[in-house]
Amino acid sequence: MKTFSKYWSIFQITLINSLAYPGELVGRSLMIIPFMWIFYQLWKVTFSAAGADVVSGLTLRDTLWYLMLAETIELGRPPVARTMSESVKDGSIAYILNKPYDFLWYQFSTAMGETIFRAMLNAIFGGLTVWLLVGAPAHPEGFLIAIPAVLGAWALHFCINAMIGLSAFAVEDVSAFTWIYQKLAFIFGGLLIPLDFYPQWLQVIAKALPFASAIYGPARLFVTPSLELFISVMSLQLAWIIVLSLTLALVYRSGIKQLTVNGG
Amino acid sequence: MNNIKFLLAIWKANLQSAMEYRISFLSQMIGMMANNFIYFAIWIIFFDRFKDVRGWGVNDMYVTFGILASAFGLVSLFFGNAFMLSDIISKGRLDYYLSMPKPVLLHTISSRMIASGMGDFAYGFVSYALSGYFTWDGLARYVLAMLLAATVFAAFLILTQSLAFWFGTMSNFSNLVLNAMLTFGIYPITLFDNYAKIILFTIIPAALMGSVPAEFIRAFTWQSLSQLLIGAIGFLGLATIVFRAGLRRYESGSAIQIEV
Repeated sequence: MKTFSKYWSIFQITLINSLAYPGELVGRSLMIIPFMWIFYQLWKVTFSAAGADVVSGLTLRDTLWYLMLAETIELGRPPVARTMSESVKDGSIAYILNKPYDFLWYQFSTAMGETIFRAMLNAIFGGLTVWLLVGAPAHPEGFLIAIPAVLGAWALHFCINAMIGLSAFAVEDVSAFTWIYQKLAFIFGGLLIPLDFYPQWLQVIAKALPFASAIYGPARLFVTPSLELFISVMSLQLAWIIVLSLTLALVYRSGIKQLTVNGG
Repeated sequence: MNNIKFLLAIWKANLQSAMEYRISFLSQMIGMMANNFIYFAIWIIFFDRFKDVRGWGVNDMYVTFGILASAFGLVSLFFGNAFMLSDIISKGRLDYYLSMPKPVLLHTISSRMIASGMGDFAYGFVSYALSGYFTWDGLARYVLAMLLAATVFAAFLILTQSLAFWFGTMSNFSNLVLNAMLTFGIYPITLFDNYAKIILFTIIPAALMGSVPAEFIRAFTWQSLSQLLIGAIGFLGLATIVFRAGLRRYESGSAIQIEV
């Protein structure tokens, strides 16, 4: 319990810190508005061209609210990989390693602290934009049901991004890996197009990968909430979190053996 | 002529500096190309399902995405500091450039090369080659359209980032408008109504970086060429005027700067 309270305090400090520059926080979150507007333009034309109110089980309104939550998850998460790789490259990792806390849990606590308000503001601005464009979500209760899946999504993102960040132990620059991971998450996570609109064979592959648990699962749960979907999304997500967190722990242990800090 | 010699010298120095870290340069270039290919797969999936967006198909998207990537890459490679101009202004780092006997704006924006820009630049040509619209005269138009689109993009960056002379740190606003420019640039122009089109030709001139150059590459028309020329000259002129006006307000910082 004492161990947990240590990381809870780190989380709280980062959370309060993230409010230190409200202008910065709001400024970043405004980015979701043009994104949602252009999605509306694209999907309005697409639904109209398809001549159907419902495409693969989603209406235009569902699609827009799905994209809002997907963007909120994506835009809300902090650049963990970049932060970790910078601390490896500039040696500042040494200041964290000699403190009485676990490096990975420390990074996770700070990442979650940075995420909460950022995501909340994205959800507010994105939600208001979508509400004005297509009206209220069909299932407002879906938002509360999707919250555990959204938290799980950030845990999954953290595991993958931390592994990318730690690859700085072995390579000079991790930016190429972060770009590629981001785009894989765009495609296999259904960030720009819901996976339901994909060809059947690609849907099967995408839905089995962790990217879908990190974006598609929570967003779909929000627009079409049901007990079956909740159990399915949460169980797959939990399985991926266990697998990836264990892998991350192994990567960290092998990486830390290679670390050489020069100077101080 | 002197300015061209100066630019060539500075680009050579930038390239030599980037080549000091060859593996990093190559990984960023290849990584960015892979990144663009994966990103474009989304449009392939979209058009596989929905075929057409008001007359635009996947082949049109190859050209639009390609020209936008090449223009973006060109600016990143040759005028990399244009992306950081507001930061340079607000932190008083213009002092260094003001003390040199060279044009301040040109010197500032050309002093940095973003290695990943090479990946964007090269990807654009590959995307055009895959579009099904490739012809040799089309390639000549591609190069011309890329230069004009890059001019519009660089001018837009200078214009928006120069607002830092009046409002101080503008990194959020700069990121917002940059993202808006790139996002709107890769979507088919046919999606937008007339009011939105006015915005995309003026306030956020994304149409002059994506759909208009793409139209010009597919088939020569005087209309698209004149739109590009007027846009490039107009935005560059405006950006220069705003930067100069801002420079009169610039107050030097007292921090000691070292430019490497």
